[in-house]
Amino acid sequence: MTRILYHGQPNGPSFTVLAAAFEKDVTLDLREFDLVAGDRHAPALPHPIEVDQSIEGEGPVFIVDGVAMTDSVFLACYLDEIGSGPALRPADPYARWQMMAWCRYVIERVAPAAACLGVAAHPPAAVPAGIASADLEQRWRDAVEGRADEARLADSRVKIAQAVEKLETQLADGRDWLMGDFSIADLETHAWLAGMRSIVPEAFAASPLTNAWEIRLRARPAVARALGLANVAHPEAIWAPGPEINRWG
Amino acid sequence: MTDVTLYHWEPNANSGKPMLALFEKGVAFDSHYLDLLNFDQHKPDYLAVNPLGTIPAMTHGQHVLTESTAIMEYVDEAFDGPRLMPVDPVDQWRTRWWMKFLDQWLAPSFSMIGWSVFVGPSVRQKDPAELEAAIDRIPMPERRIAWRKAINGAFSAEEMAESQRRVALGITYLEQALGQRDWLASNSYGLADINGFNLAYAMPLSQPQLCNDDLTPNIMRWLRAIYARPATRACWALGRTDLARRISLLESEPA
Repeated sequence: MTRILYHGQPNGPSFTVLAAAFEKDVTLDLREFDLVAGDRHAPALPHPIEVDQSIEGEGPVFIVDGVAMTDSVFLACYLDEIGSGPALRPADPYARWQMMAWCRYVIERVAPAAACLGVAAHPPAAVPAGIASADLEQRWRDAVEGRADEARLADSRVKIAQAVEKLETQLADGRDWLMGDFSIADLETHAWLAGMRSIVPEAFAASPLTNAWEIRLRARPAVARALGLANVAHPEAIWAPGPEINRWG
Repeated sequence: MTDVTLYHWEPNANSGKPMLALFEKGVAFDSHYLDLLNFDQHKPDYLAVNPLGTIPAMTHGQHVLTESTAIMEYVDEAFDGPRLMPVDPVDQWRTRWWMKFLDQWLAPSFSMIGWSVFVGPSVRQKDPAELEAAIDRIPMPERRIAWRKAINGAFSAEEMAESQRRVALGITYLEQALGQRDWLASNSYGLADINGFNLAYAMPLSQPQLCNDDLTPNIMRWLRAIYARPATRACWALGRTDLARRISLLESEPA
């Protein structure tokens, strides 16, 4: 079985998938590519619907025996299913529902806000050629031209502050990890929030539980190994267009 | 006797997903119908169950569950009955990929069109003061904005054109995927099909120029195969409006 992971800097969705693979002891052929330069759209990569229309926007591409897969939470579920390391999802169906509903909240509300703020703070240089999705191409144009309007940025900052409040509430009973045991929810939440400390510092002004959780998380060997793949000083400052902000508001 | 209660509207879109999953698993449940057009989902009785006022919600014993796609995964794991998540891990990934694509990209476009042509006009004849009070009771600010737009017919031409663009493209993606395998995400019937059917069952009626036996034979084959299942018949029998009755179109033979 061949498993090739094309990944960007360990931030956002690339972070989730790299850390999940290391947590689960899955052997991968790791190939770095530059999401900010638009490498995901290069002809050398496969371009099925699931790559070109990924809701996640610019994220890793994982190829298993010729099947190209995207969307970090679901790739992490796949790795959890096949890997030998400790489970990254609760076994109890209700606890698993809680984890999937949490991840859905991160995917749908937090990730679009973080990506919007991330590319506004660190705009990519140019719109790459070959983007199949017209709406993703539009997000690239907006990012390159710095066209995010103030209302959208303000709403995104609110979304980040709400996410940190939600973390503080979730961790209030003294638990180490969001779902009790360590899970994909911890990885995916950190993936999108790590870069927000410098961009929305006010959201972290009174977040002692979140701060301690982040220190615990980054001390995990698999997480440290994923972060160690960075070849820039601050991978959390590397952003390419992400999921779109819900069209219904 | 059952310890499962489902709070739902029509067998359609989000409500229909856990409904059909429960029927496929053979799980008995108390059906609690909420009339979306009468704003039942924002009344105190229901807000006591789901404070966000979104439909559907399911209770199982002491547990309260929301988010229709996540509920479907729970239903599949928590109860006996035929397995609805494929066994192969790659097929599991593909199931979740398609459900997310439908939930976050295609369904919002369909529902923008649906709200503009059905939900908005259906509630618009109500007393304006009563309507305004009903909207003020909606807990989520995003939903208040959506309802005001639907009622006032205020979706912009650009928003509607973008929704129509996505619907047309989404239909071609579905046709392509269903040309590659028997069912949407694998070669066994499962959660992605249940999700997709709830979005797509009325497409031959609502988008006849884009979805028909000539242009999209694989979609038509897939819709008819799902409609033929006893669980689908039982589920759609719980419908009370013309919305759910659109399913009868699938009784037609291939052209």
